[in-house]
Amino acid sequence: MSIAKPYTYAENTTPGSTIPHTLLPFLQSQSQNTLTRLYQKPSSCLSIFRLLGSLERQLIMNLLWLESAIPASTMAAWVVRDGKKYYDEALATLFRLHILPTSTVKLALNPTFKTSFRQAITGSGSSGSFGVPAEKEDKHPPFSVESLDGYALERWETILHYMVSSGTGQHPTRPSQGVLFLLERSGLMASIRGSPLQITSAGFQFLLHSPHAQLWDLLLQYLHMAEERQMDLVEVLSFLFMLSTMQLGREYSIENLGVSQKAMLEDLRDYGLIYQRRPSSKRFSPTRLSTTLTSSSPPLPTSTGTSSGPKEGFIVLETNYRIYAYTDNPLQTSVLNLFVALKYRFPNLVVGSITRDSVKKALSNGISADQIISYLISHAHPQMRKNNPLLPVTVQDQIRLWELEKNRLKSQEGYLYTAFASQADYEFVLNYAKELDVVLWENTAKRCFFGSLDGHANIRGFIERRTSGSTS
Amino acid sequence: MDNLRGSHLSLVIDMSPMQWHLSGEGPPTNAYPLTLDAFLSQLLAFLNSHVASKDENTLAVFGAFPGRSVMLYSSTDPAPNQQNINANSFPPFELVDSNIIRRISEEMEDLGEPEEEAPCALVGALTKALCHINRITLATSTTVNNPSGGPNSTNLPDPRILILSVSPDLSTSYIPIMNSIFSAQKLKVTIDVCQIYGSDTVFLQQAAHLTGGSYIFLDRRDALLQYLIMAFLSPPSIRKILSVPTQDKIDFRAACFCHKSIVDIGFVCSVCLSIFCQPVPVCSTCRTKFPFKTLQRLNASRPMPPSSNSNSARPRTDTPQLRTISSSELALSSGPMNGMTTTAPVGGLAGGSIVNKREPSTNGKIHEPPEAR
Repeated sequence: MSIAKPYTYAENTTPGSTIPHTLLPFLQSQSQNTLTRLYQKPSSCLSIFRLLGSLERQLIMNLLWLESAIPASTMAAWVVRDGKKYYDEALATLFRLHILPTSTVKLALNPTFKTSFRQAITGSGSSGSFGVPAEKEDKHPPFSVESLDGYALERWETILHYMVSSGTGQHPTRPSQGVLFLLERSGLMASIRGSPLQITSAGFQFLLHSPHAQLWDLLLQYLHMAEERQMDLVEVLSFLFMLSTMQLGREYSIENLGVSQKAMLEDLRDYGLIYQRRPSSKRFSPTRLSTTLTSSSPPLPTSTGTSSGPKEGFIVLETNYRIYAYTDNPLQTSVLNLFVALKYRFPNLVVGSITRDSVKKALSNGISADQIISYLISHAHPQMRKNNPLLPVTVQDQIRLWELEKNRLKSQEGYLYTAFASQADYEFVLNYAKELDVVLWENTAKRCFFGSLDGHANIRGFIERRTSGSTS
Repeated sequence: MDNLRGSHLSLVIDMSPMQWHLSGEGPPTNAYPLTLDAFLSQLLAFLNSHVASKDENTLAVFGAFPGRSVMLYSSTDPAPNQQNINANSFPPFELVDSNIIRRISEEMEDLGEPEEEAPCALVGALTKALCHINRITLATSTTVNNPSGGPNSTNLPDPRILILSVSPDLSTSYIPIMNSIFSAQKLKVTIDVCQIYGSDTVFLQQAAHLTGGSYIFLDRRDALLQYLIMAFLSPPSIRKILSVPTQDKIDFRAACFCHKSIVDIGFVCSVCLSIFCQPVPVCSTCRTKFPFKTLQRLNASRPMPPSSNSNSARPRTDTPQLRTISSSELALSSGPMNGMTTTAPVGGLAGGSIVNKREPSTNGKIHEPPEAR
């Protein structure tokens, strides 16, 4: 589960401070052998390149067309003094991905990566890694882009809607067994003693992520699962990367796919990443969910269903905590219901208000104040975008305060030391405890102090040594 | 955080057939020949790298052909539904490459074989590039107020222009180039220049300097791609970390308005700041009349009149001096020619003024604005 981006009032535009993509830590944990096999495919190289930060990309590009290794000092000479930190981080990332072999003296790209990536840029080679298009068929014209979008949206919202309405008594369409298994394995939903699946606190947080992050979260879980299912990880990854470089609205042949990749077709169909006319079909079409995997554009063109409202952004939040959501989509209404007390519903509008109770309920589900705020920001109505800051500051602050309220009490185990014989005694022991840095609270007037649990043995021994020393 | 929006690159290619022919000729005149074909294949690899870097990156390519300029490719155009796709290449690359090559060969065929090559329409292409950038930035900024706007349309996509030039300076284009530079400054567009063949160009150097871009004169034409990638691929945000080469010496000379020749020493109208290569009785731009006496004095003090006739007999003043003249008179600066580093007295043109980092030669002030009466 990725950590939600901390919200800042002013967007931080420092060029090097990028949030690495969710997939990169996973790739970095793979062995050099796996990665080198992955780099044999030009499409994989291209997709990984796109997931990297802009500085890493520039470094790769600088080295791509060089035939021999160059001294590291030569490259470092290009770096502005203030940017040294970012430069070192970028190099470290590339070392961990084995795109650059670890060496402090010379820099050169991994030869496999270099060859494949050059092929990708120049469009040469014969690996067919960008997908072999299927022969044209007159009987069934290819599925149109609109219908592919509709298909992907329906699949994806089925999954999310199932999650959000679990335990509310509603019975939405159940996704397929494979999806349910994945949701359970990823900890987004859990079943308590054989009961039907219930959404977990991780699941609630998941619902408030951007669709792009949600998609990658699930795929990452899928990759973890693939390892256990004895699937070839390289094949699985390169298939995902191949999908991400494919063209929307085209049909591709499954002839050249490996065994694991054919097995993946069914799973990906369930998630809405690909479309097949029949399960036994010899061809498949990628949907927008898969072709935008390596870009930051929104994966689906519309998420408000059949609503006549604007395509992106539907929430208007006022300073009086009222919320107007122009949507008729049951999924979005359910997500809003997580932290908003809904009041009225109209055909295209849902009205509610953010109250202490509704936010408390969300907080107790494990949703954080930052997640609520970032959800409101990313789905704000275009009319709201004229405001600066975008959300009313009062509401933002209040949501944060409600979260702090929850954290008002902090419990810590420990021992209370009382009934010291004299003030000197008390101060002597207290000083000793302070030196150990275990004092949590003290009150000189009452001659008592509270020490943490791990300091107890020492303090007790100290007092015992003292009392025995004074009596003898 | 990473800039979620892509960056925009507008490329202006100088397609003068004559210069490319010269560039393709081998030694002894040219140590590193570069033919147009070799250039285009390296250029396409560079463009693919730009497209590859981010899905949101946008690209526009303009060609400056003799006598006219055309837009060769724009990623904002709707993609034609091409039927054959290659399993070995990324579809967007295929689209860019095939379109650009097809358009260039079409344009080249249209050129025919004229007797004399018309000058290259570099300025036209540059202006079109600026207009294009203006259009796309306007489109993104208006959607903010428009209910249909996207959530990320608040900041502009880092626009920049890269000029790949092979032709020498065309002194008649001084004014339009300067005006383009000022428009670029206003739009916050960075202009990068790579002079691939021929001599240094004065105007493009100034263009790069004034917009914060980088100017590279290519010695090793065989390493074109590496130059392009190292210096021109990175968007402005990355240049704060990985620096790009900048010039240490910039030729700030201007061209006069009367004969369009590049001048080392010029005469500036104190009212409208027009530049002339010799004293004139009436400013051709703003019709200001200058007193006859001033003209005489100025003529007298000219270091070396280009076409010396009546003034040649007059003794030259040995010590260069500067006269500050009251309004409606022509200001003068005279001084020894310092070769490349001598700076011409340059005033502003409509819409901006040239910021001159170098001290304008040793003579001090050049021009004093009219005093209030």
